[in-house]
Amino acid sequence: MTELGWSVRSLIRQRLRAVLAVTGIAVSAAMLLDMVMLSGGIEKSFAEMLLSRGYQIRLTPKGTLPFDTEATLDRVNDIVAQLRRDPAIAAAGAVLGTSLYGRRGRGDSLVTLVGYGIQPEAQGIYQVQRGSDLTPQDTVGVLLSLPAASLLNARLGDTVRLVGRLDPQVAAAAVSRQLVVRGMVRWVYDYRGQPSIGTILPVMQGMATGSPDDRASLLLVKVQDDAAVPAVVARLRQEFPRLEVYSVADLVKFFKQRLVYFRQLSHILATMSLIVTVLLITTLLTITVNERLGEIATLRAIGIARSTVVRQVFIEGMVLTVVGAALGIVLGLGTARYLDSILTSFPGLPAAFSFFVPRRENLATAAVVLLVTGSLSGLYPAWLAARAPIAATLRSEAT
Amino acid sequence: MSRPDGPVLAGRDLRKDYPMQGEAVHALRGVSLEVRSGEYVAIAGPSGSGKSTLLQLIGGIDVPTAGVVEILGTRLDTLSDRELTRLRLTRLGFVFQRFHLLSVLTARENVELPMAEAGMAVRERRARALELLAYVGLEHRAVHRATQLSGGEMQRVAIARALANHPALLLADEPTGELDAATGDGILALFRRVNADGTTLVVVTHDERLAGQAGRVIHMLDGRICD
Repeated sequence: MTELGWSVRSLIRQRLRAVLAVTGIAVSAAMLLDMVMLSGGIEKSFAEMLLSRGYQIRLTPKGTLPFDTEATLDRVNDIVAQLRRDPAIAAAGAVLGTSLYGRRGRGDSLVTLVGYGIQPEAQGIYQVQRGSDLTPQDTVGVLLSLPAASLLNARLGDTVRLVGRLDPQVAAAAVSRQLVVRGMVRWVYDYRGQPSIGTILPVMQGMATGSPDDRASLLLVKVQDDAAVPAVVARLRQEFPRLEVYSVADLVKFFKQRLVYFRQLSHILATMSLIVTVLLITTLLTITVNERLGEIATLRAIGIARSTVVRQVFIEGMVLTVVGAALGIVLGLGTARYLDSILTSFPGLPAAFSFFVPRRENLATAAVVLLVTGSLSGLYPAWLAARAPIAATLRSEAT
Repeated sequence: MSRPDGPVLAGRDLRKDYPMQGEAVHALRGVSLEVRSGEYVAIAGPSGSGKSTLLQLIGGIDVPTAGVVEILGTRLDTLSDRELTRLRLTRLGFVFQRFHLLSVLTARENVELPMAEAGMAVRERRARALELLAYVGLEHRAVHRATQLSGGEMQRVAIARALANHPALLLADEPTGELDAATGDGILALFRRVNADGTTLVVVTHDERLAGQAGRVIHMLDGRICD
């Protein structure tokens, strides 16, 4: 008979109580894990999303964050050329974001689309899923997201009509282009269901402004060596004082500042779940110890050491914690997945973004915190067991 | 230190007071006794005479208000809590009126418990537990939980548990108090055998039949030895 086996049998003596306690701990553990994943997961997910195509630096108009306003950069061809001459830079490209309209057939009604002007030789915001990428000189090709393809009812090789600068006063299209669908792509920053299309930068500039005016919303830069990013950022800030230069770390920092209340909330909820766990285990073990004072007094009387009795109570607490935590981790991962699917379906959030990011370190953190909590929860009941008066308890048991 | 020719147990002028509603209740009023190796002593008396309190003091599970208890020449008041616990484990055996077996353990595991605490190897203690269960006539109940045993069987297991670490002195508090007469007779016979096999025995009882089979009877009344 091991001490662990003895503890397990003691616990299952009151089966329903043990099951309820384990369930309670599992729910608390699940909540704790979700909050741990949430508090660190958003920024991790954000950083991963920004780095998904390997571009570590963004240049935007002064005073703005990427795609935060409709402000644009001018003379982007010169800037891109200058960036590409830098030996530390592996790739650089411009992106213009705008809204436009599209239809497939002449009689079809116009649908609203998000348009990206891209430089295919340095593309940092999409991945081709089907068909082919654009070439830098492809002035009649277009890339569609699957929602855009669905909305336009378009397939690879089809021709679609895109309309820019639509004047609502006269309902006349200032710019209209017929383009051939070259590929279906996943735009990295699109929210779920976003109908986005992409053309080479000059085509989109023309659609947005009526003429190729050498403007873009932001520039993306891929540095050869990750370790060189801070130095390159510092250098670019000196070279382009009229632009904002952000590394991914800078953007994550801004993002964290915006989410500070969210993080505080998750910390509060995690703390509450821990308090609930402590109370639950402490209450259960205290009841158990009080019910077993006669047994404990007998053990002490026949020479079982105080430390053995205390260890026994601790092991019972740990058994409850470990079983509850194991179930809680499974439950937490399940609920995180479900909650993530709800939260990421909110309008305006990139589909690649996750609120709950399961990571080994999250699981390890939650497990360690729970084990420490389980140990602390056993302190009072163990103290109670250790100080049980042997003679008085045996006397009261005999009457 | 233990003297080979000295008493197994010596109590000198033992007094025990309990506070009750601001006043002291005198449970023991100066009791002295000696028990030599191999003796079978019964402490008899009516309820409230102080016999169970005396047993708790000589068993080191309660502390006298005054007086000294020596087990094998060791004064209990000089021992730390840890040393006293160790002495109870290795030198004394206890049998209680209500058996006090651990209900979640089997008969064999209950008997093994003091041996495990004493650090005996698993195989050795398992063999001794089975040997002791055979000694008390319960080898066939070794794998049954305490809750599956009758009162008499539980008391036999408790006796086997008390004998586990070869105690110098076995203390029993009303060991037949919860048993019917026929079952109690079986326990009496077992005690005689335990004593005949060399274990010193002190039994607290108000059962005259149990007291009558002891080699010496100490009668108590109102916290004092009265004969």
